Amino acid sequence: MTPPPHIIVLPILIPLIAGAIMLMYDERQRRLKLGLGILACVLQLGVAIALILRAGGSSELGRNIVTLYLLGDWPSPFGIVLVLDRLSALMLLLTSVVALPALIYAGAGWHRNGQHFNALFQFLLMGINGSFLTGDLFNLFVFFEVMLAASYGLLLHGSGRVRVGAGLHYIAVNLLAAMLFLLGVALIYGTTGTLNMADLATRIPHLSEADRPMIHAAAALLSGAFLIKAAMWPLCFWLPNAYGAAAPPVGAVFSLLTKVGAYVIIRLGLLLFGPVAGESAGFGAQVLALGGMATMAYGSLGVLAAQDLGRMTGNLVLVSSGTLLAVVGLAMIYDDAPMLTGALYYMFASTLGLAALFLLAEPIGRKEEGIAGLLAVTAEIYGLDPEEEEDEPRQEGTAIPGATALLGMSFLACVLVVAGLPPLAGFLGKFGMLSSAVQRAWSLPGMWGHWAFVVLLILSGFCTLIALMRWGIQSLWANSDEPPLPVMEALPILMLVGTVGLLTVQAEPALRYIDRTAEALTENAVYIGGVMTAPPVSPEALAPEPLTPEPPPAAAPAPDASGADPAADSPQAQAELP
Amino acid sequence: MLAENLLLLLAVLPFLGAISAVTMPVTARNAEVALAGSVMVAGLLALAALFGDVTAGQVVSRTLSWAPSLGLDVTLRLDGFSWLMLLLVYGIGLLVVIYARYYLAPSDPVPRFYGFLLAFAGSMVGVLIAGNIILMVVFWELTSLFSFLLIGYWHQNAGARDGARTALVVTSAGGIALLAAMVLLGQAVGSYQLDDVLRSGDLVRSHPWYLWILGLFLLGAFTKSAQFPFHFWLPNAMAAPTPVSAYLHSATMVKAGVFLLVRFSPVLGATDAWFWIVAGTGMVTLVIGAVIATWRNDLKGLLAYSTISHLGLITALAGMGSGAAIVAAIFHIMNHAVFKASLFMGAGIIDHETGTRDLRKLSGLRHAMPRTALLAIVAAAAMAGVPLLNGFLSKEMFFAEAADWHNGTWLDRWLPYIATFASVFSVAYSLRFIAAVFFGPLATDLPKEPHEPPAWMRRPVEFLVAIVLVVGFWPEALIGAILQSGVLAVLGGTAPDYSLALWHGFNTPLKMSIAALVLGTLFYFLFSRRLSQANEAPGFLSLLRGQQIFDRLMLVVTRKWPVFLSRVAGSNRLQVQLRLVVLLSLAAASWTLWGAARLVPQGIWDGFDPGFALLWVAGIACAIGAAALAKYHRFAALALLGGAGLVTAMTFSWFSAPDLAVTQLLVEVITTVLLLLGLRWLPKRLQEIESDRRLPARARRAIDLVIASACGAGVAAIAFAVMTVPPGLSIGDWFRRNAYAEGGGTNAVNVILVDFRAFDTLGEITVLGIVALTCYALLRRFRPAPESVALPSQQTFNELPPIDPEREREAATEPTRHDLMMMIPAVIMQWMFPLSVAIAAYLFLRGHDLPGGGFAAGVAFAIGLLLQYLATDVRWIESRITILPVRWIGLGLMIAAGTGMGAFLFGYPFLTAHAQYVELPLIGPVPAATALAFDLGVFAVVVGSTVLMQIAIAHQSLRSARLRARETAEVADPADAAEERENRIEEQEHQQEGA
Amino acid sequence: MMELTLSLGMGVLVASGVWLAMRPRTFQVIVGLCLLSYGVNLFIFAMGRLVTGAAPIMPKGGFVNPDAYADPVPQALVLTAIVIGFATTALFLVVIMAARGFTGTDHVDGKEREQ
Repeated sequence: MTPPPHIIVLPILIPLIAGAIMLMYDERQRRLKLGLGILACVLQLGVAIALILRAGGSSELGRNIVTLYLLGDWPSPFGIVLVLDRLSALMLLLTSVVALPALIYAGAGWHRNGQHFNALFQFLLMGINGSFLTGDLFNLFVFFEVMLAASYGLLLHGSGRVRVGAGLHYIAVNLLAAMLFLLGVALIYGTTGTLNMADLATRIPHLSEADRPMIHAAAALLSGAFLIKAAMWPLCFWLPNAYGAAAPPVGAVFSLLTKVGAYVIIRLGLLLFGPVAGESAGFGAQVLALGGMATMAYGSLGVLAAQDLGRMTGNLVLVSSGTLLAVVGLAMIYDDAPMLTGALYYMFASTLGLAALFLLAEPIGRKEEGIAGLLAVTAEIYGLDPEEEEDEPRQEGTAIPGATALLGMSFLACVLVVAGLPPLAGFLGKFGMLSSAVQRAWSLPGMWGHWAFVVLLILSGFCTLIALMRWGIQSLWANSDEPPLPVMEALPILMLVGTVGLLTVQAEPALRYIDRTAEALTENAVYIGGVMTAPPVSPEALAPEPLTPEPPPAAAPAPDASGADPAADSPQAQAELP
Repeated sequence: MLAENLLLLLAVLPFLGAISAVTMPVTARNAEVALAGSVMVAGLLALAALFGDVTAGQVVSRTLSWAPSLGLDVTLRLDGFSWLMLLLVYGIGLLVVIYARYYLAPSDPVPRFYGFLLAFAGSMVGVLIAGNIILMVVFWELTSLFSFLLIGYWHQNAGARDGARTALVVTSAGGIALLAAMVLLGQAVGSYQLDDVLRSGDLVRSHPWYLWILGLFLLGAFTKSAQFPFHFWLPNAMAAPTPVSAYLHSATMVKAGVFLLVRFSPVLGATDAWFWIVAGTGMVTLVIGAVIATWRNDLKGLLAYSTISHLGLITALAGMGSGAAIVAAIFHIMNHAVFKASLFMGAGIIDHETGTRDLRKLSGLRHAMPRTALLAIVAAAAMAGVPLLNGFLSKEMFFAEAADWHNGTWLDRWLPYIATFASVFSVAYSLRFIAAVFFGPLATDLPKEPHEPPAWMRRPVEFLVAIVLVVGFWPEALIGAILQSGVLAVLGGTAPDYSLALWHGFNTPLKMSIAALVLGTLFYFLFSRRLSQANEAPGFLSLLRGQQIFDRLMLVVTRKWPVFLSRVAGSNRLQVQLRLVVLLSLAAASWTLWGAARLVPQGIWDGFDPGFALLWVAGIACAIGAAALAKYHRFAALALLGGAGLVTAMTFSWFSAPDLAVTQLLVEVITTVLLLLGLRWLPKRLQEIESDRRLPARARRAIDLVIASACGAGVAAIAFAVMTVPPGLSIGDWFRRNAYAEGGGTNAVNVILVDFRAFDTLGEITVLGIVALTCYALLRRFRPAPESVALPSQQTFNELPPIDPEREREAATEPTRHDLMMMIPAVIMQWMFPLSVAIAAYLFLRGHDLPGGGFAAGVAFAIGLLLQYLATDVRWIESRITILPVRWIGLGLMIAAGTGMGAFLFGYPFLTAHAQYVELPLIGPVPAATALAFDLGVFAVVVGSTVLMQIAIAHQSLRSARLRARETAEVADPADAAEERENRIEEQEHQQEGA
Repeated sequence: MMELTLSLGMGVLVASGVWLAMRPRTFQVIVGLCLLSYGVNLFIFAMGRLVTGAAPIMPKGGFVNPDAYADPVPQALVLTAIVIGFATTALFLVVIMAARGFTGTDHVDGKEREQ
């Protein structure tokens, strides 16, 4: 018997253990906790890279190597299973690449502005990684809750009127979302009797006419929950406030949260309602496409309307995830992998840029109107809390020379990446989307969907450029004093920008990996097969009974029957944009 | 191979130079110059080495792989045309580098300047030799970017900032349009390689997208080359240091647009659309630029508009597109670069030595700086198109084209006149430049005492003027070959034969030149007075102020509208957002379920149970009552909420789910207590808010009621529909079968929780822990609202707690009157504590086989503690029992995770359980499964979390008591009183929580 | 019939919960979310179909007829859901306390709605 690939569970265990250990120490030993946290993040980065290599495998063949991990050694689909494939590995890498700099930045002082920052940070990572890895719907819910609970804590970190106000809205909306999630999962179980994603995917094509609408309703409720996380218009109004109010390092990691929602949409959308899903193929794709584009538009407007960099970046998060959603929608309708490739690559790059922007907001803002502006949100606290006042963020480290130049260059790089302008990685992603969208539009005349997307993509980039440049000129050029820039703050920013640079220079390997990822997503037989035939370690583990019923004659879709039933032919109706 | 490497060198060298330039110390002026200069020289040498290949008409190209899967590679491609342009970039670059050394003040940070300048040179080179049209766009945007940075070099003054912003917005907008055009073009052709594109002109011209491609392409080219109506950014860009103006904004960058026009004219040109748009725009720009230039009082402004006008001339030639026109265009690109760069440098010298650029102030400088005057006069003459200078030659070609251009429209007759009219003005402004600055009496009221510049500041100008003269006299000898190879590169076989001879006989072009010269001179001497009084532009043109229109547009479109629209399309109010969530999910669900067969109730009507019905009558009443009372009668609502929870619990037990019943019950208790503790901190609401009476409020409530009822109905219908059909194949069966066989427990639910799906439980307890930590962290910062600091009425007779910690600890031991008040319940509850511990232990141990388990046990234990908190004073408890809740959480998590990882040792996956029984006295067989250890972890976390939350909330009364105490004590100076008050509270809490 | 009763009860719980959740006062919202979670928990539970009078405890060994027992999976899910619901409710409570402390009002937007 071959030993199970324990490495897959590490992205969840490392932060869990690290967080637990931190709780054993007195809250005052913050340096120790910080060191522990950074160590944990480094470990996660290493694991993520290892997992990328594993999932990529001998990627010349382009196979999607799906690795399973049966928790408790219970056979799939009964127990909970962790699934590692190219997409989840990619997301894990993104998480750890963003998390490490954010934590280091927090080490410059923010981790002292409240209780248990480091532990909460680790638990957040645990939740995110878990959501990327799990192959079980209800377990996904649990990890969502872990992630959200930690995100509540981190958003409220530092307290203060603005944060608490934003947090109240954020929590209320997400509690409602959790209810939707539960309803959806329960309905799916009640109808199909399974919680395993892959198992569900095998059942959907064979659903009976009576059950199909039920599953669609469940999917609708679920996607409601996910779209709130992914912040699709009009479910996204809480986001700019919350992200803008959060402490800079927190905002940086939050730029991952929307990606979790988007990830689940991609995963489930293409797994359950992909082209092979029979009558349910392309379910809801139209909504995704339109909603995504609406989000892009709304986000771009928000960027122009916003005054401070925090809110701008919040709106940019909307643009980035809207782009992703729109592409997924289009990809589900016309199942084209190339656009998805561009979108995933852009998602990766823009997330790095957004995180860096969240971090940059503070030192540049400090240059702008001094510490007062930076801590306006927590002013009332600072009036009262001596413990906090002793160690304000900027007291730490030695200011490096040429701070303005450094900040300016990093800011410029971030603008280019996020706006998708040449020559950085963001441009490559956008160009990938553009060219394949145009190609698609040429091959399917009369469809305005792709054209609309192309126009929005270009315009959103331009709005970003205008807004950010306006802000940058005002705050970097208009006044010429040297802001204090601790090394602990400069380092993480440079790490993020450096990663973007690496992604730009090494574009081809990355693109090839992501290209295979997109292909694997669009035909998901490998994934399903992998999950359903995973052998447990213990020999005496009983073989699972065949749970997938043969399609009953009732379910065999006769064209006239499907024509008669509005619920049944709705998928076809959705299968093309008006 | 050498050629390819030289090509690579040409592209890479400037960027390397830029990087090393910015890293130099601020003071290293000469080192910077040496560096930048040597880069330029190296480039020139490389060009010289490549000259042979290029004139032989062959194309040198080199490809580096970047992102082939996107069809995007670093393909470099050098032919005659780009060679010729590169000569300008490197040649004039070298002169500018030298010139700038003397132009910049010692205080200016040179590393930034030379760094950006080199980087720009690199990007410009990239545009010129990019062999992949997307790569070309990449470098194109980079030129915009570095031009932006260079214009903003002196970013302290607002003019530079505005100029930079305008330039960036306009040019990068053009760049984005160009990107779109190139993507369309590439898709239409099927390749992004420049060679393929250049080959497939007919395909493109007949393509349905042609007009789109052309439009977007021209947007890019026109914005870059400052064609009307996008010309206004160029004059504002004059805020840049003069070397930058000379280099970017006359010689190289603004030529990128016309370069593109010439380069792509074989692909996109030779159609009516092309002619009318390009030639038309060119002509308009030519005229307007020339006219406005005549009226400018700022030296650089005059030159800027003259540049616009000359770019218009080149554009017009590209628009005509005939072979001869292309020749003229290329030739004029070079000539203009040479004389305009020298003029800008001259203007820079004047500015530098006199301190002003205002034509109305300057005068008679030929006395002060004769050499400079001579140079400037020659260059200006070239600009005016005086014979025997290079400007004359290309202008003649232009006139020739204008004269014998025919496409059978009204333009045939008018083109020559328009051309002459424009050049009348170009003569006029050239004349004004000379006359106003150098002639007349020497100006006296100048900011500086004018004198000749340092020799090396003048050398570059001298060199350029020399070229002006030599080309003017012996064009063929000097640049015949270069021009020829450039023309061949663009036109290929269809290149016309032309002669660069000075004398073509007394023909139409010559007549036109003479006319222009005479009329121009006349015009100047007639109107020179008016010019200096008039306001920067003749009346009719002074109306269109591109800059102002642009600014107003930007303000409205990129600020006002977005603010308005995002206010319309979004909302910051929670109610709106929640309503949206509810409505959307309702809509989605009902859309999917519309007419679903399942929802038609074919339900089973037997087995009516009055008891159950009655139970739910109560439950429904509770729910509705809670909803109705939650606003004004919070306590009642809370009680009713508890009722509803109770009914839920009973329902669970009714349908044989004792575990749920127990858990629900316990959670119910805790939630209620927490809410009770929290209730005290919400504002009292005695009288009704009168706005609730009003119609809008009522309407909102009614609408929400409808929505809510719809949701309820939907959920009920779905639930009913699902419940009334028998379950299909479900994984539940497997669990039921294998709970004991595999999981080693007979309580299937608990086995699932701690074994089959223990991973969920792990996450669940993590959530619990996180939440507890968050509550604690947040309440550490809790500031009660002023009015709720006051004691609740029930306790007002209770004395204030003592102030300093010592006495507090004594006080903790002796009962307060509050304790006396609560004596009886306190005693009872203290007796109940051991009992609840026992219950907890029992629940815990039997969990695996009978209802119960770690969670239930934990909650039970916590409730025991909670009761103590309720009954007695917080300090009383903490002086007796000390719990370290945070560590309980951490410990529990580690136990649970550790148990799971134990399986690693045996080669099994995480959380693989091992079960067996041990006999315990009294309790009987206890499953000593590893699951039990896991459950222990659960227990610990639950206890820790719940207790931590309670402490966090319960302490608020303590803190507010202290707040009260200290406010009464230190009304003297509340400022620092607040601080050390916090100090003491913090440290006391540290003692109490031990965390 | 029991199904019907339960569905109705569920419906009312959800309805009043949703209605409260959309109200302007924080306390109303939190009560609403509690009611809502009751309804949802019952819904999850109901997805396992209703079984009355079945023993919750399996015999040790021997063949087990699944239909004789209630489906344990939804119950397990409900247990998890209850716990998480409790946790988030507590957190929300603390947050509204803090919000009230900072803003001085118990309106969900931190300021009274201007009429």
